[in-house]
Amino acid sequence: MQEQQTDYALITAVLEGNTTVYADLVKRHQRFVFTMAMRFAKNREDAEEIAQDCFVKAYKALGTFQYTSKFSTWLYTITYTTAMTFLRKKKLSTLSLNDDENTVQIENHISDYNANSIEKKSGYAYLSQAIDLLLPDDAMIITLFYMGEQSLEEIAQTMHMESKTIKVKLHRARTRLKEKLQYLLKDEVKELI
Amino acid sequence: MKTIDEEIWDYLDGGLTADQKAEISAKISSDPAYQEVFTELQEVHQLMKGAELEEPSMSFTRNVMDQVKLEIAPIALKTKVSKTIIYSIAAFFLLSIVAIMIYTIANSTLSDETFEVPSLKLPVNTQEFITPTSIRIFFFVDIVLALIYLDSFLRRKKA
Repeated sequence: MQEQQTDYALITAVLEGNTTVYADLVKRHQRFVFTMAMRFAKNREDAEEIAQDCFVKAYKALGTFQYTSKFSTWLYTITYTTAMTFLRKKKLSTLSLNDDENTVQIENHISDYNANSIEKKSGYAYLSQAIDLLLPDDAMIITLFYMGEQSLEEIAQTMHMESKTIKVKLHRARTRLKEKLQYLLKDEVKELI
Repeated sequence: MKTIDEEIWDYLDGGLTADQKAEISAKISSDPAYQEVFTELQEVHQLMKGAELEEPSMSFTRNVMDQVKLEIAPIALKTKVSKTIIYSIAAFFLLSIVAIMIYTIANSTLSDETFEVPSLKLPVNTQEFITPTSIRIFFFVDIVLALIYLDSFLRRKKA
């Protein structure tokens, strides 16, 4: 019964003092927040740290939540900001296939995949790999659009940009993703995608 | 001018009008270049739609709740700042302004020909400070502030 409650009802319950209900909100959104964090952190430990930090920040700021937008959009804004801050602190190097120096790393990725016969057969494994090779912003837009089922306007709100800019960025990100998939799969691309 | 890729992505996203959709659809069925791009992008599109989310560790929720327990319980902002208090303060100031205005109008003799606009008497002579140089400095600072604001505004738009 509790599972059927909307995000709004759960937030109201938390604000009225039933703080344990917040666990339900966390369970509902943790996979997506964690996936978003993975787009920036590139390793599970850091991604978990970012995701946990996001939920704690969201809890502290829950009183300021306006019921005019989706809770998910509000939460993803916090996630994006937290992840960006993390990135600045850690100064993680981002990968791009356009850079010659990254070729070695990409080849390593491919050899990792060759070692795993099960993953080799999976188009989704290559997709995940290709997303990891994108710039964090590109990966974020694609993730929000397809996995978060967010509209261009909602993504724009999350990433503090205009929806027209997001539309252009989404087009470019998908083109880059296609290129990276083709690069990773090489001859197999036509069979798998 | 949109590229074929952009047209196909728009078509796949479903944000086009019926006419635009029909136009692209016709191009796909008649133009081999469109057909090739469509097949390629549709596969990527379907692959993306079917992609699964990452799963955090089993203890994720528990870890979050352990941290949350250490925080002060959140309270709705509306209960923190009561609207009644804000309205009461606003009403007090509005009533005060209205009362002063009524009193002033009631006690003024506007028909009196000797009426003069009251002059502001300050302990310093302001005319000494309003010189062409000070006005130039004032405008210069204004322009600098406007440029700083414009710069930050354009940076935000670019981002």
